[in-house]
Amino acid sequence: MSNQTAIPDHIPQDLVRDFSFWTAPDMAPTPGGDPHLALSELHNGPRIFYAPNNTRDGQGTWVLTRLEDMREVLQDSDSFSSYRSIFSSAIGESWPLIPLEIDPPDHTAFRSMLNPLLSPKRMAALDHSVRQRAIDLIETFKDDGHCEVMSQFAFPYAVSIFLEFLGLPQEDMPKFLNWANSLLHPKTPDERTKAAHEVIEFLDDLAAFRRKTPGDDFVTYVVQAKVKGRHLTDLEVRGMNILIFIAGLDTVAAGIGFDLSYLARHPKDQKTLRDDPKVIRKAIEELLRAFSTVQMIRTARKDMEFAGVQIKKGDLMSCASQIGNRDPNEFPDPNRIDFTRNANRHMAFAYGVHRCLGSHLARRELISSLEEWHRLIPEYRVKEGCPPVAHGGFVFGVKSLELVWD
Amino acid sequence: MTAITIMVEPGKCQGHARCYSFAPEIFDLDDEGYIALEKIIVSGEDEELAREAVEACPENALKIVGE
Repeated sequence: MSNQTAIPDHIPQDLVRDFSFWTAPDMAPTPGGDPHLALSELHNGPRIFYAPNNTRDGQGTWVLTRLEDMREVLQDSDSFSSYRSIFSSAIGESWPLIPLEIDPPDHTAFRSMLNPLLSPKRMAALDHSVRQRAIDLIETFKDDGHCEVMSQFAFPYAVSIFLEFLGLPQEDMPKFLNWANSLLHPKTPDERTKAAHEVIEFLDDLAAFRRKTPGDDFVTYVVQAKVKGRHLTDLEVRGMNILIFIAGLDTVAAGIGFDLSYLARHPKDQKTLRDDPKVIRKAIEELLRAFSTVQMIRTARKDMEFAGVQIKKGDLMSCASQIGNRDPNEFPDPNRIDFTRNANRHMAFAYGVHRCLGSHLARRELISSLEEWHRLIPEYRVKEGCPPVAHGGFVFGVKSLELVWD
Repeated sequence: MTAITIMVEPGKCQGHARCYSFAPEIFDLDDEGYIALEKIIVSGEDEELAREAVEACPENALKIVGE
């Protein structure tokens, strides 16, 4: 973050803005903060601007503000590459997360292999077990009349479903919660590096075990699968396992945190979901729009003009769903949460060939959790004196959310 | 009876399944989760639901061509 990079010559000075997803208003963990609302201010500015220090490792990126432009970038994988190595570069290595960080045509083959595992129909079959996880967790604190949502519900819920998906025992939960915490909120860079190595070692060992002792789980499927007529290499298996781990943990937990935080402060909307659970399915799409958590980054493959500016080969393009989903050109009155909103073509799960592979699992988790929460928990509110703490960064999230009910 | 015709733009579906969530019996998906149809004719009481589904497609992959 500290090593400020020089601004390339082709960037017009008047489009350089002192902005980053870590330092803009309400990006640092802020009691009572609203990072999404804070970012919506960008829609009063230029269509595209340049942020000189806008990645974890201090690189500059273009920042797109219009949803339509982001859709164009994300749909055009010929002009904009998704190839990066975010996770491995943090530990001094270079291998891609698969399929996120590879491009077509390779991407197509891997994606095709993984799609059936996470299809809407397949996820519908998980409904019962996902729902039961929510019920079991809520029962542990329901009678207390209060809970801290992230540590008592959102994270254990997301991690337990992840463990089941990977065919791991629930006893592994504390280990994964610790790794997630060290990767997402490390106190020192060393803590993050150490956790990254431990996760890799654990998942590599798991893959080796499943090669010898197959089960009925994601890892077994991956080690047995063939792509373009051959089995996967160890590094490819690793790239998939790590992606499933980091993509499924904090995003769903953050979604639940933002949703319940909003609903706790908006009793009328809360009542709507409690009185008419059928609304939840549509409400989830609006909440996904309003409280998106990830930004997609692409690399320009060639020099081109885009959104009225000159882009050079190698430039990074930040397509933040948190910004695009509050674009007034696409969503009238974007900062108002409206469960009846039609034509909600939100980008919470990106666009194009890299559309979030886990989106149907995420939806299943969000719908089941909100349905069971509102069935089991009476009218709830934010605990007095404890405003929710939300944050920005590479993945937006909620650090603490204390709720009470009578 | 009125009817609308919906065309699926080739290669544009990315499997968001927003259409399927509105009306699974109209917007059939293949095993990978992409739309399994090229042309969909919807009539009668399903029409409004189908219009909503078309409007919700994040990729703009569905187009109403004939009414």
